[in-house]
Amino acid sequence: MINDIRVGALIAYCSIKRGNKKTLTFIVFVLSLIFLNLVFLPSMIGGLLGMFTGFIQDYPYGDIVIEPTDGNAYINNADNVLKKVRAVEGVRAATKRLDVGASINHKQKVVGVMITGMLPTEEYDVSRYPYIVSEGNFLSDLSRDEIIIGAIIAGTGHGSEIYDNLGEVRPGSFVDVTYSNGVKRNYKVKGIMEGTFEIVDLNALVHYKEIEDVYGLEGKEATSVVVRVTDQGTETRVRDKIREAGVNEQIFTWADKSESLIRQAMQSMGAIDIMSKIVSLIVGAALVLIITYINVMNRKKEIGILKAVGITPRSIVVSYAFLSTFYVLLGIFAGLILYFTLMLYFQANPVVFYETIEISPVIDHVLLVQSIVTMLTLSVIAGILPAWSVSRESILKAIWGQ
Amino acid sequence: MIVVKDLKRYYGIGETAVRALNGVSFEITKSEFVAIMGASGSGKTTLLRILALLDDATDGIYTIRGLEVSSLPEAERSFYRLTQVGYVFQDYALINEMSAAENVYVLSMMEGKSKKESYITALEALDKVGLKEKHDRVPGELSGGEKQRVAIARAIAKKPDIMFADEPCANLDTNNSKQVLDVFKELNEKYGQTIIMVTHEPWHVEYVSRVITLEDGIVISDENRQNNKISPK
Repeated sequence: MINDIRVGALIAYCSIKRGNKKTLTFIVFVLSLIFLNLVFLPSMIGGLLGMFTGFIQDYPYGDIVIEPTDGNAYINNADNVLKKVRAVEGVRAATKRLDVGASINHKQKVVGVMITGMLPTEEYDVSRYPYIVSEGNFLSDLSRDEIIIGAIIAGTGHGSEIYDNLGEVRPGSFVDVTYSNGVKRNYKVKGIMEGTFEIVDLNALVHYKEIEDVYGLEGKEATSVVVRVTDQGTETRVRDKIREAGVNEQIFTWADKSESLIRQAMQSMGAIDIMSKIVSLIVGAALVLIITYINVMNRKKEIGILKAVGITPRSIVVSYAFLSTFYVLLGIFAGLILYFTLMLYFQANPVVFYETIEISPVIDHVLLVQSIVTMLTLSVIAGILPAWSVSRESILKAIWGQ
Repeated sequence: MIVVKDLKRYYGIGETAVRALNGVSFEITKSEFVAIMGASGSGKTTLLRILALLDDATDGIYTIRGLEVSSLPEAERSFYRLTQVGYVFQDYALINEMSAAENVYVLSMMEGKSKKESYITALEALDKVGLKEKHDRVPGELSGGEKQRVAIARAIAKKPDIMFADEPCANLDTNNSKQVLDVFKELNEKYGQTIIMVTHEPWHVEYVSRVITLEDGIVISDENRQNNKISPK
């Protein structure tokens, strides 16, 4: 076997060293495109998922969210929870919120929304709400009888045409809000927020005290406590520390929430991702097979000669295994260069989706390693099959076609 | 050394079968330089391919040093081709992407010799055919005669028991043909190499010690030129 490997390596080396460089370039180019096809779409999907989970963190749930235990509508001692949470090492900021259902009425147009009562100054450290006000201003600690409305509800944001909206509501407009307990309030629109994320743009924000007043709460309740951590990636550890600090409510990381919220979306994207990979691999393997097959057919006589002078079929197959490996490694290398070039380009110039959402692909190292290993394995198998087949033909048939 | 008894090779079956060899018998002793001659379609190339273990006989006995080689399994035939038999093709059959030396030493490596040892063996073989200086040239950089001499070097490098040559001068001009035949003659006379060569050129018989002539798949004459004796069949 060692002689087969030595001879196979020599034949492959000579073929690479003195073979047709144009053919080699073409093969490597095609293989690089196959590799690119294998990794590019998953990177885009990864970017999309990353963006989605980013929204989850930046708006409704933060890095960690604390919610009432099952059967309770509120966290009853939210200030105490906040105190414990803020004392935990690794917590950067935290705030409490009150989410309630309501309908908003403006010039006879009615839209059902979720209204979040929040403490405006604390939100600057916890969420991006204060930074996405496209018209008017964000709430202040003195904001009473004022409301921030999502751009889709206001009828100004992208996508408002497919949802019920209030028509052209602008800062300064007045709207009537009917809360789920039947209490009605009239608010002046202080600002329009546009987060290019439906959960945000279909929402409305008021001061925490407004919800307290409407529902007759006593300053301690919250429907959620939203926490941001100092270092990304430490959420699970911080969550456990919050538990250890004596917080007995339900505690979720953003990943827990994403999983339940976008499970279906992730499964759909995952299915597309898997199908795309399978198709890419089949196309890739088929192309390598075709390339090697044509190569082998062109060298059929040579294979016959090698057999005729005593070179074993195994050596011939090994030589093609080396050749395929070399081609594929070069193809992967060229593909990686193309891939990183495209990544740099698309990270600088994100793909605009839905007119406002910018998607930047994400470089996933595990995906790259998986793709390299898979492509190498499949391609080498696809590469040696034709050689194996021809090396088993009779010498006369291989050399003289008899 | 070589014994062939009633060797037959048919292509196809039944009435329409082509009888390329129809009962060929002869013996060849060590150090003979034999030419197999005959018109086109006489069966000489078929015979040579069977003798070189590139093809199978339909019937008959073929032994080398008493070993019935025609019935060996493919793996052993491959080993036999590698170690005992040298074959020179009509169209040189060199690997275009290998240098002259590589074309020769790849076989030594297959036999298990080290690269250095194989290289030395290849240079010795190329030296015997007068091409040592061009060991690093690829076939595309060599003339037809030089290519054929590289093919001969490849065949003799492994010091085979028998060397077969299938019309080795068919693609060469007279000058190059003489160079190739001179090499064969020297190998035969100086090193005692047994050579069996298929040819259709009458003047080639000047170089050989024996001429076997085929017609329609049978031996019609067997002439020992050393004794100038013709053995009609």
